[in-house]
Amino acid sequence: MHRLLALFATAVLLPAQDGATRENWPHYGGQTSAWRYSALDQVNASNVNRLTPVWTFQTGDSDGGLQATPIVVDGVMYLSTSHNRIYAIDAVTGGELWSYHFPLPKGFTIFYGPWNRGVAVADGRVFLGTLDNHVVALDAKNGRELWKVNVEDANQCGCNITAAPLVVKGKVVVGVTGGDSAHRGYVNAFDAKTGRHLWRFWTIPGPGEKGHETWTGDSWKFGGGATWMTGSYDAELNLTYWSVGNPAADFWGGNRKGDNLYTDSVVALDLDTGKLKWHHQQVPHDVWDWDTAYENVLLDLPVNGRTRKLLLNVNKGGYTFVVDRANGEFVAAWPLVNNLNWITGVGPKGELLGRNEPVVGKSKVICPSIGGGRSWNQGAWSPKTGMFYSTGIEWCEDVVAVPETPKEGQVYFGGTFKLTHKPLKGDAGGHLGAYDPISGKRAWIYNYKYPLLASVLATAGDLVFTGDADGFFFALDAKSGRKLWSFQTGSGHRGSSITYAVKGRQYVATPTGWGSAVSGLLPQLWPETERLRSGSAVFVFALPEPSK
Amino acid sequence: MRPWLLIALLPSAFAQPGGALGTPASIARGDKLFAQGCSVGYCHGAGGSAARSPRLRGRSFERDYLIRVIRNGIPNTAMPAWGDRLTDADINDLSDYIQSLANAPVNVAASPATEAAATPATEKPVDTPDEHRRGRDLFFDLTRESRCSVCHRLNGYGSIVGPDITKVSGLKVTDGPQVLRYGRPRSVRTFVLKDGDRFAAVSVERTASFTRAYDLSATPPVLRNLLNTDVQSIQRQSNWRHGNAVRGYSLEDLQSIWNYVRYAAAKK
Repeated sequence: MHRLLALFATAVLLPAQDGATRENWPHYGGQTSAWRYSALDQVNASNVNRLTPVWTFQTGDSDGGLQATPIVVDGVMYLSTSHNRIYAIDAVTGGELWSYHFPLPKGFTIFYGPWNRGVAVADGRVFLGTLDNHVVALDAKNGRELWKVNVEDANQCGCNITAAPLVVKGKVVVGVTGGDSAHRGYVNAFDAKTGRHLWRFWTIPGPGEKGHETWTGDSWKFGGGATWMTGSYDAELNLTYWSVGNPAADFWGGNRKGDNLYTDSVVALDLDTGKLKWHHQQVPHDVWDWDTAYENVLLDLPVNGRTRKLLLNVNKGGYTFVVDRANGEFVAAWPLVNNLNWITGVGPKGELLGRNEPVVGKSKVICPSIGGGRSWNQGAWSPKTGMFYSTGIEWCEDVVAVPETPKEGQVYFGGTFKLTHKPLKGDAGGHLGAYDPISGKRAWIYNYKYPLLASVLATAGDLVFTGDADGFFFALDAKSGRKLWSFQTGSGHRGSSITYAVKGRQYVATPTGWGSAVSGLLPQLWPETERLRSGSAVFVFALPEPSK
Repeated sequence: MRPWLLIALLPSAFAQPGGALGTPASIARGDKLFAQGCSVGYCHGAGGSAARSPRLRGRSFERDYLIRVIRNGIPNTAMPAWGDRLTDADINDLSDYIQSLANAPVNVAASPATEAAATPATEKPVDTPDEHRRGRDLFFDLTRESRCSVCHRLNGYGSIVGPDITKVSGLKVTDGPQVLRYGRPRSVRTFVLKDGDRFAAVSVERTASFTRAYDLSATPPVLRNLLNTDVQSIQRQSNWRHGNAVRGYSLEDLQSIWNYVRYAAAKK
């Protein structure tokens, strides 16, 4: 009993806004506030060196690696893999409870890769977005299909779903890929019980709508604005926050003059209606493929002596933006990487200074590279240390902008790039750092020879977990960054580790399996990484059980 | 040896180990096409140096294989079929270019960034005549949440909720827009569930234990898999009108769509 108490002891110390997970890992980002932080502390800095594998689960499909965040609810792990497969696994033994496969139409071309980044689980149902643009609901007990809906013909739109849905209050909120295709993005909400469509928010306003004037000609129809990562939700404000990706064509904006709303923006939508409450555009008229695409971390912190409801978002361009999540007001911006030359800085109102844009027909060095100052793998916020933990990547590219005519649903990139240029500062590589979320002041940094492409997990045990390209899953001291433990899982890390507890025992689980679009870029800079082995498995660890 | 025979043998006689057969001009054209369609995004990377998709530099490919894969794609992977977007000449040029990379250094660090062509890849002529373009665009208009292709499949695009409309007998009549607005498809039923839910639906499959049916009460329709024990009744009458689904179109729009569908049916 005292063990259980210890497990929850830190919960009492947490501030009013509680985004920590405990026994369950119920949502993609932990809770809907996307902290990726667990209040569990049975595994902690003093005993993590005794962490031992307890089971592993091989999915058998290593195409594209394993990029998912497992979801754990009441002792059952729900795992999605490439090619629309879901496994329900006993979270204590690793035994398979049921599996599900959503077959693709014969001869289907998979855009944006075969991977899936996670399912959502709520009210006894499991929800999946598919590679051919369906949303599917299953019975969590047995994997029986309950409903499915075809959002749009994937062959026509050149878009599909790879991100986990967000499910709150009986609504399944789902984004879409397609930002590098001639496509117009959106966010959809479906009724969790019946599958009926509830609302759609177009990320690019149509004729007559506010913001439409930020596009020229027909460019709004093909302007990208994908919502390819999972959104967040604030129950008190009843707002769901979604990141809207880059405008298309990615590197050339000659036929879409204007700010191109709401691309490269965080949008706050009323959960019940899908109506826009506010937006904050990070990069007006993006011509670098900088997606505002990643997680929206909801945290309450004092700013100038007043506690504010904040939202932190890492932009692919390597800048982190912090805004007030009640009204979208700009609060702060800070760089995550040293190699950053597309702007000279961010002004006091969030405005970009000294834009350095790609040029038509001429090669130009841009830092970071298209792979991002960070990839989509998420950071973690620990209210206990007051630090935001995030990976970052030092690399640059040579880029040439190319005018292009959009063709519906087809690749619409507007340029070419190569990751051949040496970084302007230091060596190319990756790092994991601990940052003050508002000032960006770095407390420590852990360097690695290649980009770190797995999500970060923080726990109340003063631990930070992530994995590297070589296959090591490891724990750092959350306060100092010192490496405390590591384990070789046999393939590189591109997914998101989690922690959960069953019957008083804390488990740490990590997907392993190298793959993805960005990992495929690495050989351009590090030829030897072409030989990194793929894989697809979940490894689960715990402290040894006391001898009986 | 007769001259024509000599010509026929020339390519193989000059073939390099990697099998490069192209002329400088065809390789240059292939290079441009490659930069536009193959190296872009996260696909094969600049100069075929690999990205999400495999490296092509420094590798030998059989020409027949290249042409087949470019034309037909590789099903269930990210490699699309380019056969309906590129001409045979384009595919030949692309193959020439890729084969020319066989002996190229794997690392592209030394070469400058390729400048891609400022014009789009060659497109095969669109086969819909001008007079039916408007109808076609309306039928498939992705900017409308409710459009014909949400339920009907035509020329390989769209969903299969509704019937193959090129085979609907009503196509013979000329007052199409009226049919589209006021038509009452006989296959639509009223489903009543035990939890009180009541909706118009088209049954797809019915077994001893479950019923699969498209719920038409929202757009796009939802394919629901209902346990028969959850179903109260399935009634033959329904208030559902085809007009519910085409509300966003004007009469003029519907006329254009009708004409296009009749054209597509006749062509079939």
